Amino acid sequence: MTEILLFKGTALLYLLAMGAFFIYLVLLKDVYARVAPFILLAGFVLHTAGLASQIARNGFPVVTDLHEALSVYSWLIVGIYLLVQVKYRLTVLGCFVAPLAFLMALAGLAVGPGGGELPPGLRTSWLYIHVTLAFLGNAVFALAFAVSLMYLVQESRLKTKRMTALYKLLPSLERLDRLNYTFLVWGFPLMTLGIITGSLWAGFYWGAYWSWDPRYIASVITWLLYAALLQGRITAGWRGKRAATLTIVGFVVVLGYFLWGDAVFPSRHAGNFE
Amino acid sequence: MSVHRDIIIVGLNHRTAPIEVRESVAVEASLVPAALRTIRNLRSVHESAVLSTCNRVEVVAATSERDTAFMEVKRFLLDQQSAFGEKVVEEHLYAYAGGEAVRHLFRVAASLDSMVVGEPQILGQLKAYYSAAQEAGSVGAILHRLFHRSFTVAKRVRTETGIASRAVSIGSVAVELAKRIFDRLEDKTVMLIGAGKMGHLVARQLKSGGVSSLMVTNRTFETAVETAAEFQGNPIRFEELHRYLKLADLVVGCAAAPDFLLKREAVDETLRERKHEAMFFIDLGDRRNFDPRINALSNVYLYDIDDLQTVAQENLNGRAGEVDKAERIVDEEVESFLGWLDSLDQVPTIVALKERLEAIRRNEIEKSLRTSLKELSEKDRRAIDDMTSAIIGKILHGPISHLKRPLDGEEEALYVEALRKLFSLDEK
Repeated sequence: MTEILLFKGTALLYLLAMGAFFIYLVLLKDVYARVAPFILLAGFVLHTAGLASQIARNGFPVVTDLHEALSVYSWLIVGIYLLVQVKYRLTVLGCFVAPLAFLMALAGLAVGPGGGELPPGLRTSWLYIHVTLAFLGNAVFALAFAVSLMYLVQESRLKTKRMTALYKLLPSLERLDRLNYTFLVWGFPLMTLGIITGSLWAGFYWGAYWSWDPRYIASVITWLLYAALLQGRITAGWRGKRAATLTIVGFVVVLGYFLWGDAVFPSRHAGNFE
Repeated sequence: MSVHRDIIIVGLNHRTAPIEVRESVAVEASLVPAALRTIRNLRSVHESAVLSTCNRVEVVAATSERDTAFMEVKRFLLDQQSAFGEKVVEEHLYAYAGGEAVRHLFRVAASLDSMVVGEPQILGQLKAYYSAAQEAGSVGAILHRLFHRSFTVAKRVRTETGIASRAVSIGSVAVELAKRIFDRLEDKTVMLIGAGKMGHLVARQLKSGGVSSLMVTNRTFETAVETAAEFQGNPIRFEELHRYLKLADLVVGCAAAPDFLLKREAVDETLRERKHEAMFFIDLGDRRNFDPRINALSNVYLYDIDDLQTVAQENLNGRAGEVDKAERIVDEEVESFLGWLDSLDQVPTIVALKERLEAIRRNEIEKSLRTSLKELSEKDRRAIDDMTSAIIGKILHGPISHLKRPLDGEEEALYVEALRKLFSLDEK
């Protein structure tokens, strides 16, 4: 019961934070820019408490259904954003993160706690490591996605020379591009390790490291895309608009699979463990 | 008999004409004296001055035949160029006369008509063109007064309104944009091409915005060396521009060149050498220095003066209140100038002069008759009255008949002005 209350409180605080960020966008008053991240932080604290109680109840930290997946995912995104905010003061990014976190929290509440029963055979530390890494990687790429969107908006403003209030709000292209790179450098190893641990775990549990499962295929496509981007950035000076566009494409593939994949292409990943 | 004094302004500016048309009509600084000679030979123009900056080309003239002067000055401007059809250029021309013309010049001086309202350069430019006209001998009493009033208006607007303190010049717009492209300017390098004033101004702003490293190039290497010394930058030989271009994050062009200094292909090549690190081109040339197609390359941003104006416009919105205040100052000054202009008419001046002397005469007679000449009879008093009247009549005869002779507008204005000053006719 308390868990549900905690998650409801989380959603409410994320909603409030979203409101504060949007008011900041419209009024451009610094007060809101200062307050909004704190509201988000308060939500994050409740969220953490909720997740902790969930783990205490289940005895294992794992995401067995969409509800828990969304919950953990939004928790990670908010957490990473708060770190970025401390380091780079990128309040505008919060305008993207807060609504995302709210929507995910809301969706999680709507879906409701599923029958999150994990077959005892799956309860290996490999699985925890795999899930943690994969989710962290994806959360980092979600922020890279947001930063890339901002880059494209700012870039088109500067190219077309049509300046709106937004242009003053958004950080410089160089900073957005550098953040994109930072996220890529952090996200890519996390994703790589996530895939490797997942594959190893699959090897242990199912006896095959690879199968033509849609989830695997989507992961590998995204991994190849990000690998190419990283390689291009380091050697050929791919940057700016091209890097931003590729980041967005990569994330859309992941997100698309995450949200609809299981429904469209049945997979034994996620909730289907038979 | 009285010559009606009028002021006209014909020209075009950044609001009415695109940069290409402005360029085609522009009068180069070295050709200003010749242009003034041509204008002085126009039958209808008594006094004249030319104003030619990147943002405006205008002829200010004192005339007594408004319509003829409009036609003749227009013709002069149209003859300045051949790049466009006359119809095209004529469409962009504006023509003001009387109070409208005075208001226009005051607004220009006060930087209310500038691309970036409140920017300070225009006043200096106006002063320079005024001196040029003075040296060429084409300024008389009317334009002299007009320009000096305009300088006063500019000063009042500067001190009495917040326009100047919050002025956003083209330079700071450029800095603002640079800060949207680059995270910090401290580690960026500027390449300044050409010796144009605007280029210097923007370079200075970029330096105070944080840019530490600056390269300067010019067709004349000595000029590059001088400019580089001024900015503590490095002079680059013009032939080596392409070699050094890859080091530049910001490129400011303010050269007087008939052709593009940098074509798209050259910039494309440079970008590859820079691994596509972003470049910001600022084109301040009277004619375009950079190929406009450069802007289509990715990671490259090209802004010319017109673009900077658009951005500056955004910054303006918040300053409407100060602009209103400035406009009211201009209104006041226009009123007072027009009053002066009217006073230059000989008839009122003659009347005023007569009244003045008459007042003195009466005053003195009354004083004397009350004191030392108290004993005089009525007859004697009348005799004194007649005599003093005659003296004044004789004194005035020369000046008045001189004024009543047909004079050209400028000479007449000169005498009228002198009389009004010498006899303090404007003091009540």
